[in-house]
Amino acid sequence: MSQGRTLTFNIFRFDPQQPGDKPKMVSYQLDETPGMTVFIALNRLREEQDSSLQFDFVCRAGICGSCAMVINGMPTLACRTLTSKFSDATITLMPLPGFELIGDLSVNTGKFMREIAERLKLWLHPRGDGQDIHVLEAPMDPEEAARLYELERCVECGVCVSACATKQMRETFVGAVGLMKIARFELDSRDARSVDDFYHVIGNQDGVFGCMTLLGCQDNCPKDLPHMQQIAYLRRKMSATLVSC
Amino acid sequence: MTTKTYVPNPVSPRVLGHHWSAKADRLQSATGVLMGVFLLFHLHFESSILLGKDAFYHVVHFLEGSIFSDDGKGFPIITQIISVFMLAVFVLHALTALRRFPTQLGQWRALQSSLNTIRHSDTRIWYFQLLTGAALFFLVPVHLFEMIQAPNIGPNMSAERVYHDNTWVLYALLLPAVVVHAVFGLYRVAVKWGLTFQRHKLRRFAHGLMIYLMVLGIASLMCYLLIGSELTLPVTPYSPS
Ligand code: SF4
Ligand code: FES
Repeated sequence: MSQGRTLTFNIFRFDPQQPGDKPKMVSYQLDETPGMTVFIALNRLREEQDSSLQFDFVCRAGICGSCAMVINGMPTLACRTLTSKFSDATITLMPLPGFELIGDLSVNTGKFMREIAERLKLWLHPRGDGQDIHVLEAPMDPEEAARLYELERCVECGVCVSACATKQMRETFVGAVGLMKIARFELDSRDARSVDDFYHVIGNQDGVFGCMTLLGCQDNCPKDLPHMQQIAYLRRKMSATLVSC
Repeated sequence: MTTKTYVPNPVSPRVLGHHWSAKADRLQSATGVLMGVFLLFHLHFESSILLGKDAFYHVVHFLEGSIFSDDGKGFPIITQIISVFMLAVFVLHALTALRRFPTQLGQWRALQSSLNTIRHSDTRIWYFQLLTGAALFFLVPVHLFEMIQAPNIGPNMSAERVYHDNTWVLYALLLPAVVVHAVFGLYRVAVKWGLTFQRHKLRRFAHGLMIYLMVLGIASLMCYLLIGSELTLPVTPYSPS
């Protein structure tokens, strides 16, 4: 445990709301304390040194997904990153690329997530027989529930979008989070959509066939979601429907 | 760093490209695997020169179907036919891969900025594949046309080409580009279609394979240069004693 170090934070600063403001990197010094996370450090910087510093957080426990940023070149959650992890006492913080910048380290991932949900219709489309709310829901096979839960763990932090160079190059590409959610509904026996329906949404260049397998999503997702497996699964499945088309 | 706002895509998918994008993805992988595997054999056959002129002579004649020819020398036309076939595979691969190629300046900028901001080894590897792919787009046809036009393969004839006709320059460029591109291309196909989830092991293996093929290729090239330098012009085809 590295104690007593003085950390240097190089932080990206830019407020698009401020006329004339230009993007710049600003350095701050801070004494490291035991168990310090980047999130704790940022709060102290804001309290003690610069109240104008903008960044997001809610849960402080890796659940809400709002504190994602690029920490020393790795897009990840600030509240889950210990400063002791960096043997070099310099920590560079950048906002997640590819999103609308609100200011400094704060980006509008919510807007992106909403748009992708609307575009891909990322909600359950119940089968015709499941509409009556007075009827008891049919029980789900526990194994299926476990499989769904595994994919349901996404916290919409946006890391996979930022970590994907394909997505950065092609705005219309759905990105890993969209594909992951599609995979989740595709697995759900309650969902009325067929492979064909999903094929129409992601069976194209902007969907699964636009993915170039750079695996930034797989390597950076803070929830360790199985992106590589899921995208490969969707690719095989979507590719196989081609035979019957 | 982008500060732009995303505009949602129209909900209706781009109809064009549906089947084609799936087919193109399959075709790109299939042609890539075919060429990757071909390269593995190619480099090994051609490196038989390291075992001596006789070894290479027999490998060439065997591959050119010597057992079916009366004079035991085989049919060089086989080399031409294979070269034409590989050219067709190459064209298909290039066409399907080109749809991935960043065509707008903005895309290159986004790629550079992503490479600068995010540290990620697989993205970097892909970037090398992109660059080597662009180089191969020009280098591979030169090599294939050469084989289609004058398929003189043999210990002396190949060495003459390498040394006296200066094709070593082509091979010195082609070798690293093709090895990097093919090895990591095969790795990517495996993880892309979910053929293996032992990705880290596979990547380590790919690194090892890359070094091995480079050493093999460089050693053979040196060998051809050495043989070429000892030849007196005009060169006569080698025949085993
Ligand atoms: S899939 Fe992972 S990286 Fe992507 S938004 Fe969800 S939790 Fe974040
Ligand atoms: S503050 Fe909620 S995930 Fe970090």
